[in-house]
Amino acid sequence: MLFDNIAAAFHELFVFETMFLMMVGVVAGLIAGGVPGFTIAMAVVLTLPFTFGMDAVQGLAVMMGVFVGGLSGGLMSGILTGIPGTPSSVATTFDGFPMARAGRPGFALGLGVWSSFFGGIISAVLLVTLAPQLARIGLEFQQWDYFALVVFALTITASLAGENLIKGLIAGALGLLVATVGEDEINGIARFHFGNEALKQGFGFLPVLIGLFAFSQLLSDIQDRVRARQSLAEGGGVAVKVEHRKAIAAVLKRWGNLLRSSLIGVFTGILPAAGSSISNILAYDQAKKASREPEKFGTGCEDGIIAPESANNATAGGALITMMALGIPGDIVTAVMLGALLIHDVIPSPTFITETPVLAYSLFLAFFVAHFMMVALQSYTLRLFVLITKVRMYVLTSVILVYCAIGVFALSNIAFDIWTLFWFGILGYLMRIFGFPLAPMILGVVLGRIAEQWLARALARSEDLSHFITSPWSLFFLLLAAFSVFFPKYQADRGKKTWTLFYPAIFMISLCVPAFMMGGAVRIVLGILLIAMGVRSLVKHHRNGWKVDPAASGAPQLREG
Amino acid sequence: MSRLNRDVYIAILLLLLCGAFFAASFDIRKIDYGILTAAAWPRIILVALTVLSLIYLVQSLRRGAPPEGTKSFSIKGVIDKYRNPFWCYALFLLFLLTLEYLGMLIGGVLFVFCLLTVIGGASKRNLIIHALIAVIMVGAMWALFTFGLGVIFPQGEIFTTL
Repeated sequence: MLFDNIAAAFHELFVFETMFLMMVGVVAGLIAGGVPGFTIAMAVVLTLPFTFGMDAVQGLAVMMGVFVGGLSGGLMSGILTGIPGTPSSVATTFDGFPMARAGRPGFALGLGVWSSFFGGIISAVLLVTLAPQLARIGLEFQQWDYFALVVFALTITASLAGENLIKGLIAGALGLLVATVGEDEINGIARFHFGNEALKQGFGFLPVLIGLFAFSQLLSDIQDRVRARQSLAEGGGVAVKVEHRKAIAAVLKRWGNLLRSSLIGVFTGILPAAGSSISNILAYDQAKKASREPEKFGTGCEDGIIAPESANNATAGGALITMMALGIPGDIVTAVMLGALLIHDVIPSPTFITETPVLAYSLFLAFFVAHFMMVALQSYTLRLFVLITKVRMYVLTSVILVYCAIGVFALSNIAFDIWTLFWFGILGYLMRIFGFPLAPMILGVVLGRIAEQWLARALARSEDLSHFITSPWSLFFLLLAAFSVFFPKYQADRGKKTWTLFYPAIFMISLCVPAFMMGGAVRIVLGILLIAMGVRSLVKHHRNGWKVDPAASGAPQLREG
Repeated sequence: MSRLNRDVYIAILLLLLCGAFFAASFDIRKIDYGILTAAAWPRIILVALTVLSLIYLVQSLRRGAPPEGTKSFSIKGVIDKYRNPFWCYALFLLFLLTLEYLGMLIGGVLFVFCLLTVIGGASKRNLIIHALIAVIMVGAMWALFTFGLGVIFPQGEIFTTL
């Protein structure tokens, strides 16, 4: 079955046109990832309009190319200019830039490129093996389980909120509200149109997304009048030759660091809301702790480049596991990918892999192939990157703004979409100024209609609301949702307040209830294990006299990326 | 008044928005079939948003006025700080309002040219460079979508009357 699906996907994907477009996507991602201020999410969002004319496999393969390219592109500016291209390559600059300044930029770039490659391949293997297994669980879900799953996904907004939880939750609720404008998909009744004919159709997903995210980001980039007139690398960039052979040998020699960092990346990616912006720092931190020469970190150490770069690419595979197996976005980029699936009439859900195996396996393959393309194209893109760093910021912004308008119009050939882009561009910009995170709002826009549909289906089957508690999977997801909302508070208070000592124990013990309700030997054993771990944690803290450990505080903050 | 800060105003605006949407939710047509009416889900969201906005309001009121020494609000200061985004939005609005008459190609080229000149300066050399950038970059993207992807952009009344 697995090989049949792979073979069918192979035929779909390995077409000259698709391969060519994917290569263009990888190059675009590498460039966008390399330019500070242009995030990967923005690159993926801006790619969406180009994929309308393509079929689902081709369109999503191109977006996958941009995604993988973007993750690896950040290392170019991080290593050569000391400014991370994306938040996912922040830790790469810690050692990459010193190594480049010490006269070894080619080797530093080689380490980054090959770490990205191996990290990505490790996560791709895990994606292909884990996602279908995880998706099988999805076949057990009933309507209320689906709704609870989406509620859990919505609580990710709490983690994406960053420093201000309330502002993040408000942004998420605003996103949900925006998704209700226009025709209700269940009954076909227009809502909140305020007498405007165009509003009866609702807001297009893409104009809202591009307006909120890309438009507002571009204006933030040129807000500073002096910076707007500067190029990324005043005085020009430096042309460098990537030292591939030496770098491959160095990366493989440090296979322990590579494997550990990749696994950290995959695991972080699977966790909703914990994207590559956090995994690269976590992996760097772990590599430093495990190193025999931690004092060398920050001075141009090889392990300091391998860890973050392998982790950030591996995170993509992890986020894709969650997206493809459960139909919920792991981070903002996968939220956009989910939106792309909707545009291509594919409804993201836990049955995605079983119902559309060719598309799903084509995405798996595209993720693999994109990494090979990334390695092959990085050297050439480097030259292009050096050229682009000479372009002034305001020129890039002005041109991309009009591209946004062109791309948005191409969606359904109506000028109203450009107006949507404009208004949401203003809203996004104001939200940035007033400190409201945009990622929760985008999540709300993506998941709003899906949540409503599942709620309607659940209530159509039975009006009895107790199903949300008596169904084991629904209870499981609602418990996860409850703990997910308080997770940022736990993260902030950990090592400072006593209540945080109870959080993991109560979390584990409460999760054993749905595990027991599900039945089956494996799940009951898992439930017993959860109780044992919870009790062990409580006993440990009791023996310590419920003292908080200040060393546990200071966890990296989650950021948009 | 001393307790008021920027967040208080935003919270009040959010509450007003919730009120407006609540009122509008009563205009949603009621139906006799289905369990979940078209107004139910938006109202659930509005209740959540109202509660969150109230918490935000209380939080902001508790925090009180900005500390002494914080730069006071002035229209001139805001315009000065946000000059570039202001120009972007103003020109984009103009581009949208004239789209019907100028079309996507001419409108897009003019938008890029004007924006580049406003932000980058209007020296003789800059004007030439900006014009070239606008024509080449917008023209290339317009051609890609028109001829490559078969998108039909607004041609502009200016062309149809000529």
